[in-house]
Amino acid sequence: MSTDAAVSPSLANALETLHARGLGLRRGSDPEPLAGDRPAVPSGHPALDAALRGGGWPRGALALLDAPAGGGATSLALATLAAAQEAGGLTVWLDLDGTLDPAVAARLGVELDWLLVVRPRDAAEAIELTAWFGRSGLIDALVLDLGSHAAPDRRALDRLASLLARSGSTAALVLAPGARPVAGAAAGVRVALHRSAWLAVGRDLVGQRVRAVVERHRWALAGGSAELDLWFGEGRRIDALSPALADPRPVEVARPGLRVVSA
Amino acid sequence: MPRLLALVWPELRVPEADPRPFERMLDALDDLSPRVEAVDRGVALVEITGLEPMWGPEPRIAARAAMLTRGAAPLHVRCGIGENRWLATLAARLARPSRPDAPAALRVLERAELRDLPLGLLPADPAVRQRFALFGLTRMEQLADLSRSAVGAQFGPAGERLQALARGHDPRPVVPRRRPERVEAGATFETPLDGIGAVSLTLRRLAAELCDRLRERHRAPGRAVLELRLEDAPSLRVEQPFPQPALEPDWIARLLLSRLEAAARARSAGPEVADEPRVASVRLAFDRLSDPAASQLPAFEVRAGRWEELRWSLERMRHRFGEGRLWRAAVDRPTAALPEHRSRLVDIGP
Repeated sequence: MSTDAAVSPSLANALETLHARGLGLRRGSDPEPLAGDRPAVPSGHPALDAALRGGGWPRGALALLDAPAGGGATSLALATLAAAQEAGGLTVWLDLDGTLDPAVAARLGVELDWLLVVRPRDAAEAIELTAWFGRSGLIDALVLDLGSHAAPDRRALDRLASLLARSGSTAALVLAPGARPVAGAAAGVRVALHRSAWLAVGRDLVGQRVRAVVERHRWALAGGSAELDLWFGEGRRIDALSPALADPRPVEVARPGLRVVSA
Repeated sequence: MPRLLALVWPELRVPEADPRPFERMLDALDDLSPRVEAVDRGVALVEITGLEPMWGPEPRIAARAAMLTRGAAPLHVRCGIGENRWLATLAARLARPSRPDAPAALRVLERAELRDLPLGLLPADPAVRQRFALFGLTRMEQLADLSRSAVGAQFGPAGERLQALARGHDPRPVVPRRRPERVEAGATFETPLDGIGAVSLTLRRLAAELCDRLRERHRAPGRAVLELRLEDAPSLRVEQPFPQPALEPDWIARLLLSRLEAAARARSAGPEVADEPRVASVRLAFDRLSDPAASQLPAFEVRAGRWEELRWSLERMRHRFGEGRLWRAAVDRPTAALPEHRSRLVDIGP
């Protein structure tokens, strides 16, 4: 006991010194450090970029967009890809269910020339492909849409998160309405979307207002939130008018009486 | 007087024939003469003027040409020799094998022999043929003996050209093709290597050697061809077109290795092959050479350069995960009611 007591403080001090010098030792509870000093990938919504505290999605992060089906996660992911492309980046959409509608993506500002659409066979292959893209160091933003598939292997997701962090080049957004617990545990950043209102022009629903809450952030302070207006694909068609004309309707009251205009 | 040898492979002339052996045949003919023209698919013209001292009399030269091309593909060939391209190709057309299963047939056609041949052999359209018949012209000599002005008055410039052919005149020269440039390197192992994966270091070395040779000449390959000679198994040959002309030995070697492994996997799925083939020798060739500076787009747009770089990774992914994974999207009818009618996925291609 006395020996342990004598050694432990010195070991702890040595570890602390090395840790302070950044010499590669880290506590198990510490997050995987992000490699590289490239700027974060913008989300397309300045308010959310501010809530994420680094100017957007950190490169090397596996970020879960936690929202139920129809909750705006796809719109936010597409907005992120559009913003990443606007900054000169290359983007990838891994579409496990085959539900990506390129026409909607194009209407939301995504340049299809710089978007690679990947159709993996299953969740395991999707994760492996994501790792390949992360390793290439050439992709700025990537969306891993697991759809309603069964939960992916937790260890595979952990390995992917670690690899992405080491590579430090790709911001990977995960859409996994069917596997939120597993993906949420592995993700370094978790943003939950809560719908606060529909956005309507007359009797037409053209978008939704969501509150995005940064519930987890391994590399910055979590807890920030932002209010985002997410337009449906069709809503963007009247882009200039939508923000001016759209009228927020309460979620409970407005929905039954309104006509949804979406792609 | 010029002498030309025409070679016609009837089996390559049919529309559904595989054209790839023809290129190899032309390569083989390059060893016979420096002036080889690919007239059409399955038709080649070789200038043999002055080759007798080296290869012997004309029939022997034709036999040598037939033998060289049979090394590329064992197809029947008809050879014709004449003093211009019209006489040579007509001779090849008229050549008949001495026996039905003979691999080659030869005919030498001189200008004087042309006079007795039917007029129907001329490359005339049906209307002109009909008018020849109306004038009672059925043989070459009948058309050849008419005055040029009379033929021009009746049949126009096209008739004059046909008359020149009937007289055995054809001023069109042979236009030799440019031989595709190709560089090669190889290695033979005194003790054969165990397994295909063991060639990776040699492959990297050969790729670096070829890249160095080409870099000095400001050239870069568009395709690599790798051939492995195996012990107790047929050779393995893989071709890898590159996304862009490249002088990156690491990328080239990695791509080739993954393609090689895929080919070996496909072969080992068969029943007759041993699972660990031993490699006796490796031969690597680069072709489709071009000037890498000619592709300037990456110099002007950073993203385009990164996309080109990404294509190397995509090519490796295609080998690793198979086809049907990597796509680009194109929107055709953005206002269509059903999502599947609005857009389509396009294969990213090699």
